[in-house]
Amino acid sequence: MESFVVRYRNLLVLLVLLVAQILGLAMQVRRASSGQADGGGVRLIRLWANGIVSPPERILHSTGSGVSWIWNNYFDLRHVRQQNADLQKTVDRLRLEQAALLEDAKQGQRLQALLNFQQKYIYKTVAAQVIGSSGTDQSRVFYIDKGKSDGIDRDMAVITPDGIVGKIRDVFGHTAQVLAINDQSSGAGVIMESTRIRGILRGNASGQPQIVDVIRDQRIKPGEKVLTAGGDQIFPRGLPVGIVDRVVNDPERDGFVDVVLKSAAHLDQLDEVLVITVTEPRFPPDQQQDMAASEALKSAEAEQQKTSDGMAEKLPGLLEPNLPTDQQPLNDTSNPNPVSKPPLAIHPDRFTPGNAVTPNVQGAPDGSQSPGAGSSESTLKKPLPPKSSTSEPHSTPETKPAKPSTPQGENR
Amino acid sequence: MSVLSAEARREFEIHRYPVLVYALVPVLAVVLQAWLPRLLGRFAWFDLPLVVTVFFALSRRNPIQGSILGGVLGIFEDALTGHAIGINGIAKTLVGYLAASIGILVNVENHAIRLFLTFVLSLVGSATYFFVVRFLLGLSLDTDWPMELYKAFGNSLIALVLFPLLDRAKMRD
Repeated sequence: MESFVVRYRNLLVLLVLLVAQILGLAMQVRRASSGQADGGGVRLIRLWANGIVSPPERILHSTGSGVSWIWNNYFDLRHVRQQNADLQKTVDRLRLEQAALLEDAKQGQRLQALLNFQQKYIYKTVAAQVIGSSGTDQSRVFYIDKGKSDGIDRDMAVITPDGIVGKIRDVFGHTAQVLAINDQSSGAGVIMESTRIRGILRGNASGQPQIVDVIRDQRIKPGEKVLTAGGDQIFPRGLPVGIVDRVVNDPERDGFVDVVLKSAAHLDQLDEVLVITVTEPRFPPDQQQDMAASEALKSAEAEQQKTSDGMAEKLPGLLEPNLPTDQQPLNDTSNPNPVSKPPLAIHPDRFTPGNAVTPNVQGAPDGSQSPGAGSSESTLKKPLPPKSSTSEPHSTPETKPAKPSTPQGENR
Repeated sequence: MSVLSAEARREFEIHRYPVLVYALVPVLAVVLQAWLPRLLGRFAWFDLPLVVTVFFALSRRNPIQGSILGGVLGIFEDALTGHAIGINGIAKTLVGYLAASIGILVNVENHAIRLFLTFVLSLVGSATYFFVVRFLLGLSLDTDWPMELYKAFGNSLIALVLFPLLDRAKMRD
């Protein structure tokens, strides 16, 4: 017997190790199937592993972040002013758009109140840095540098400004584990924006999120937006999830398809995420403040528009209602610098353009200037006709070329 | 000419390393395995704990030590995932055992043999992992075999660099 143990010692140790782990797995699966959380032993192993791995990860992450910060804030500042100006323009534009949408949102809230349904809004978030991953493709989980001490709890939603990322799976003292939406064991309620088809989102083997068990529908097309449905009690309704990438047949169920998505958040390159710690049926204070600023901006713009309209009404118009379209002054482009003509005189005198007469001129039957006339005299004798009378066929009716009035000398 | 038996050769060719190497290298492997995929994204085609398990198992030529080291590193990996603890543990226990057992039989000083063994043992580890998940646990985990192949190549390439480096830390009698 002793020789048997000695001879097969290696194999026996292997068997013991394997059997022990298989038993451990069986116990964990049993607990999981009955809806219980991890047992004390398993929780302890996870805690130890996290305690060993997290500190070096934090150091590595801090070092990398420090180098990146120095580079971004001291060296790589090209085009920052231009970007800032562009962003300011974008903010102004978005403020106006927000003000326009605010009325719809308020109406929606009123209707929801009537229907006794309350939409939850993101009220408070905690920003966190991603410090590590599970290290294996089979498990799409990652670690953030915020934990129980920062108010993080299980099943809180994790998002980025681009879209949803996942949910908190496990919480430790100063770190937390996030289960990403592209993990095969994840689940989130989603809805397609235009077709309003609902489904459950989970990851596939390639790490792409997909809506599973969807009844085949010709309306589902690539490019359609997918949003959170809000029914899973984790993600607030209406957050971007991604867009439809392709539709593939479910290999196990005939008549069903899996809708593979391109996630809105960059799940492979996550650096900073937001954990939604509080949701409320009203807008958060900073958002209310932002909306007030948008409304003020919109009011100011409306006031400015009103003033402009008032000024425009008082000024002479460029459109003449009595003229056909092709004769409208706005349509005449022959002269790039139109000059208005003085109106016709009711009682023409010698100062009236074209009516200047002098004795010398009267004597000249053809109106030509005598050779001996001085310069000052010539101005009086033959004043320059208004420019528009000869060279401006496009003048307005008020300034329309007048029929040359007959000089008194000629009438004789 | 003296002929050594397998047992004697094993004793003769056992490599020993400073305690610090035994302690730090596995921990570093687990830490880097958790951190590097953040930087490399989907191109993180490697499994550093597996490479370290294969190295120490081949060097020590002791199946019990190889199994225990593989099991511990696998359990550590499992603890960092959201899955049940023991899946990677079983896979790497088997890999450690096989590596040490093969190390007794063949000359593992040859780099080509080491690389080939790393490649094959990576695939064995992946196959064991999926066997445990699908058949022992009955979970519906899809398999991306091309990815596992890339990972085996990645492990071989890392072994090509890492093994000579770790050999330098070998203690001379």
